[in-house]
Amino acid sequence: MKTSGEHAINMVDDAKELAAYRRGDTAALGRLVAKYQRPLFSFLSRFAANPDEANDWFQETWVRAIRNMNFFRQKNLPGWLFRIAHNLAVDAARRRRPEESLDAAPPGSPAPLGELLPAAGLSPAAVVAGHDLGQQITAAVNRLPFEQREVFWLRMDAGLPFKEIARLQRCSLNTALGRMQYALTRLRAALGPAYRELQDSAP
Amino acid sequence: MKPAQLEQLLLLEQSGELTPRQQAHLAAALADSAHARELRDQLRHITRAVTAPEITPTMPASLADATARIDARLHPPRPLLAVAWKPLLAAAAALVLLVGATFFHIARHSPATAQRAALADDTELDTAWLDPMDAEFTELEDLLASIATDDFFLTMEM
Repeated sequence: MKTSGEHAINMVDDAKELAAYRRGDTAALGRLVAKYQRPLFSFLSRFAANPDEANDWFQETWVRAIRNMNFFRQKNLPGWLFRIAHNLAVDAARRRRPEESLDAAPPGSPAPLGELLPAAGLSPAAVVAGHDLGQQITAAVNRLPFEQREVFWLRMDAGLPFKEIARLQRCSLNTALGRMQYALTRLRAALGPAYRELQDSAP
Repeated sequence: MKPAQLEQLLLLEQSGELTPRQQAHLAAALADSAHARELRDQLRHITRAVTAPEITPTMPASLADATARIDARLHPPRPLLAVAWKPLLAAAAALVLLVGATFFHIARHSPATAQRAALADDTELDTAWLDPMDAEFTELEDLLASIATDDFFLTMEM
């Protein structure tokens, strides 16, 4: 968990790197991209149709972020990046809504959700051993309504605090927390016994 | 404490957003309730499961490639003509005007030009006497002159 001091240092570093890139230091851009690559790409992948689209969105996010740097004012680069990523995901969801089907495979999954959910009698240990639990949670989350799914991944992938998520979704802190709780409730129902026995397999 | 409230506090604890008062409430709940501790462990385990590196999506492109593409989109190479064809055209037009004006000035004030101008004036005078009317006047003058010097007319006058 980041402390406020670490957060402030991070923001100063980001501002320095951005200033260096504006002076023509391409390596500074490389360092920034590397720093936020994992959470940003991971978040975008949750909403993109395939890895190539996520890759395009990743580049688009950086291009928009740097072109519109005057709106960011060097305050909080991750918040600014995820705001743009959120807009891309919302636009894509609006475009796809008419074609979305509950029986379709969730983004990034080869099979429909029903096939990805744990079979009855499968022990949590077996699920964890097969690397499946994370994928099953992912598949279950992908069945959630857009806002809840986004809160879940903004928290899990991006590590954004709920206050930031609420700002991004233009809702109250309580609504953001409520959406996360609703996501967890749906997750419990979808994963069934595997979810209830999670703590037993925890290290 | 209600389960929903407890879960909210656990979520805020995980994101580092608890106020000191909320922190105290949560600490008391965790100390008293096995269910609260269980719920916290569950939440931690889910977080670990979905953020595990082996299931986190990875970029198909390399980092260097992605950075190069972003940089290229931010600084696209511009074709030469698009760079400055307007200033170049303006400079060329100004140069043509300057050279033209200089030649005109030199040509107008050179000695050779003055000579040519004088010659042109003489030629103009010469050609003026070739006018047919002028020739008739000349004839008339000659006639008057001959009359003036003729003895007959001189005696008549006297």
